[in-house]
Amino acid sequence: MSVLQIHAQPGKTTVWTLSWFLFAVGITAYFWVSSQRHIENPDDRVMPTLRQMGQGVVDAALKPAEEDQGVGDADQQSILTRFRHGMLWKDTEATGRRFFISMAVLFPAVLIGLHMGMFPYVGTFFLRFVLFFDKIVALSLLPILFIAFGIDELAKVMLIVIGVAPTIILDAFNLTRSVPREQIVKGFTLGASDFSVTYRIVFKQILPRVLNSIRLNLKAVMLFLFAGEMIASTDGLAYRIALLRRHMGMDTIIPYVLWVALLLFLVDLGMRLLNRQLHPWFREA
Amino acid sequence: MNAVATTQLAAELLPGVGEASSAAMIQIQDVVVEYRQSGKASKRILNSVSLDIEHGEFVSIVGQTGCGKSTLLRLVLAEEMPTGGRVLVEGSARAQPDRRCGYVPQKYSLFPDRTVLDNITFGLDVTEIGIFGGLSPSRRARRKEFQAEALGYLRRMGLHESDASKYPHQLSGGMQQRVAIAQALIMRPKILLMDEAFSALDPGTRAGMQRLIRDLWSETRTTILFVTHNPHEAVSLATRVIALGRRQGHEDDGAGIVLDLSIPQAREEHEISELVRRVEQSTFPHGIDDTSEAGSPPV
Repeated sequence: MSVLQIHAQPGKTTVWTLSWFLFAVGITAYFWVSSQRHIENPDDRVMPTLRQMGQGVVDAALKPAEEDQGVGDADQQSILTRFRHGMLWKDTEATGRRFFISMAVLFPAVLIGLHMGMFPYVGTFFLRFVLFFDKIVALSLLPILFIAFGIDELAKVMLIVIGVAPTIILDAFNLTRSVPREQIVKGFTLGASDFSVTYRIVFKQILPRVLNSIRLNLKAVMLFLFAGEMIASTDGLAYRIALLRRHMGMDTIIPYVLWVALLLFLVDLGMRLLNRQLHPWFREA
Repeated sequence: MNAVATTQLAAELLPGVGEASSAAMIQIQDVVVEYRQSGKASKRILNSVSLDIEHGEFVSIVGQTGCGKSTLLRLVLAEEMPTGGRVLVEGSARAQPDRRCGYVPQKYSLFPDRTVLDNITFGLDVTEIGIFGGLSPSRRARRKEFQAEALGYLRRMGLHESDASKYPHQLSGGMQQRVAIAQALIMRPKILLMDEAFSALDPGTRAGMQRLIRDLWSETRTTILFVTHNPHEAVSLATRVIALGRRQGHEDDGAGIVLDLSIPQAREEHEISELVRRVEQSTFPHGIDDTSEAGSPPV
């Protein structure tokens, strides 16, 4: 029985082993190369060892961020207080705040898409303009945004909104249009008003798919957020990564990258669970 | 067209209809439907169709795929507007579908995000309670009444109360259509429009549904417009069969009424077969495509 057949049926242990294999290879290879480099040069900063990264994480989590004044003597405070004044928490807080502001600003995009799909006048009014905006490379707008909105929070949030909103609007629009006409007609024959058909029939039906579409766009949101933070910011996870690059601080950069991946995974997982909880009738097609 | 003669016949069959109002329930007056096509001449679907349907009639519309059966139904529904002529329901023209017509399509007939019970009460909820209705106690009580009424309909349709909390995707096709009929009937529409409602069902289920709709019609005397491509179904259900078709050699003219047949209600099996043959001859003059008889839905 060949392993490479379409009808091959790997067993449970095989599936587990195979799915983790590349992780094991990658991690082993990294630490092997890392140890080799440290034998040649004990001061190597490019590929830190596990111990160095551990120290990096502890420093990032517990040592006060350099801009944080007035903490007092670090050794006399509890671990929790030190963590809350550490740069890891401060960066996460700053990035998280921008992330949630952007998500809140993106929510109206769903409603715009819904109304575009339901009401012909709204559709013709917005569609061409949104299609045009969708084609603009948002990052190329970055200088314009910094000039127009200054280099504070507004510019960064605007970058995310301009980069992601057209996609979300068009997604919501297409999802609205793909609701079978029968459902809308049925709503009217049961006495529903335009408002009820839009919100109680169509919006309720597309909501799980809209949430999935937002989940797919999480990476784009993070991409624009990081671009903004790296170029013009004084805090945030991406600001820290860009800053540490100048010091070749790989012992902190690598844990930061993994931390960002973990956070994004958790947000995605949370949205998926929420979706399943809110919409038990929904089956992924 | 012999529409006028049949209308008189129907009035005799259903005494007491004519006195209520002089105008027919549905008046289709010299209707033309054309679809504009980009770059080409517009395509004519229906050509000067005139038809009066009285209160309490059970009318089947038959015809080959693509001859405008569903278009005619959408005109009555006011989902579509005629290019020429008028469609009046209870004497008035309408701009969009409303409560006067209940609608049971072949597919997507239920709201997938609502349970069976919520599907049936949707119409009552949306017209009487509104979106924040759960907040006031009197309205909550009213909703309880709706649910009790819906359960009654559910039982009448032959479903169990245990099905009430299921979602549509957990039901078979036949059960879904039963719920869809209940959902429409609970609003007591003047007209029930069914668009190939049983065409996707297997033969056994289909026969059960036909009995059900026939019984419901006998009880309620709701005017029913039933679109089907199956002549046998049309004849065995309806009190009147309208066949749509195109005249040979004039295919571009669009379809018109080629047969308007009133069906005697006390009938024998051989009479039904005879009537089916007449319908088949008018709608399928080139012989019958066997696949269309097998109950498979037209694509």
